[in-house]
Amino acid sequence: MKKLIYLITLSFIITSCGSTKGLYSWDKYEQASYNYLKKADEKSTEKIIEQYKKVLNKQKGTRKMAPPGMYADYGYFLIQRGNLKEGKANLMKEIVLYPESKIFIDRILKLIEE
Amino acid sequence: MKNSIYLLLVTTLILSSCGSTNKVLKSSAYSGMYKEKPLSLLIMPPINRSTNVEAKEFFHTTLNVPIANAGYYVIPPFLSMEILKRESAYDAEMFIDRPLNVFAEIFGADMALFTIITKWDKSSLASKVIVEVEYIIKSTTSGEVLYNRKGTVTYNTSVSAGNSALLSILASVANTAATKYVDVARAANNYTFSDLPAGMYGPQYGLDGGNTAGFKVFKVRLPK
Repeated sequence: MKKLIYLITLSFIITSCGSTKGLYSWDKYEQASYNYLKKADEKSTEKIIEQYKKVLNKQKGTRKMAPPGMYADYGYFLIQRGNLKEGKANLMKEIVLYPESKIFIDRILKLIEE
Repeated sequence: MKNSIYLLLVTTLILSSCGSTNKVLKSSAYSGMYKEKPLSLLIMPPINRSTNVEAKEFFHTTLNVPIANAGYYVIPPFLSMEILKRESAYDAEMFIDRPLNVFAEIFGADMALFTIITKWDKSSLASKVIVEVEYIIKSTTSGEVLYNRKGTVTYNTSVSAGNSALLSILASVANTAATKYVDVARAANNYTFSDLPAGMYGPQYGLDGGNTAGFKVFKVRLPK
């Protein structure tokens, strides 16, 4: 009988639409990115930068890697705020992590050089 | 006894599975995805044909997360938005019926995602929002439609802390109207893309073709 209960429990676990842990953790990034897009003021910019730092440095997803685009967008915000050196370094990190970004990021790096 | 055990097991399986009567497999519903094996996706600015002027932003900022979570590379959303604006290409309507090779050249994108919002009606009395939105992912190389779904989402904005941890987090955050409406778009996007075949970075990559696909045209009430 015990076996049966195990079996039933198991079949529930296997077939249910279980919400497993995601590839990446995002913290409050979506909310911050909406607020920034809407307001683009000092406060919303600070908030989104704070979120990038969390997503990049405190990653809890199963891949244990920064999600696509986050290093590059963070770099873009840094460059906008005049921090060219760190901004470029973050753009380059995007290429290291995601080589498929190279076409686009190289173009951006070139734009910055001009 | 044995028979009743089997019966019980079968019933459990049926009851607990993500039931749907749609029998189309992902490999045929989204055959282009399995054939072309695209990796990188460019989010095009949503096309807003609804009466809510803000709907575009609600959707724009909540598209990259579910697609990245499905295992794809999403071209940096803010950086690409900036370039699209600079190139006077911020109106996605101009590109939807045109060849998209230029997006492969400039952004290295294998896919372009178009979002068309046709309806965003809120009824504050019933505290719900009804959204109608179509999602189209096109290949930038072949021009083929790789993925498309059209949904009517009825979102209950008066969700109190539900039984899931996520819901209670959302409910505690959802104070201002804008917060609430970002959740509407997020729920619609998450629901729609939960059917996306797994991308290269997902553990199910190449293994989910035999799974049943969701309906291409669907109606859903969220949060579930």
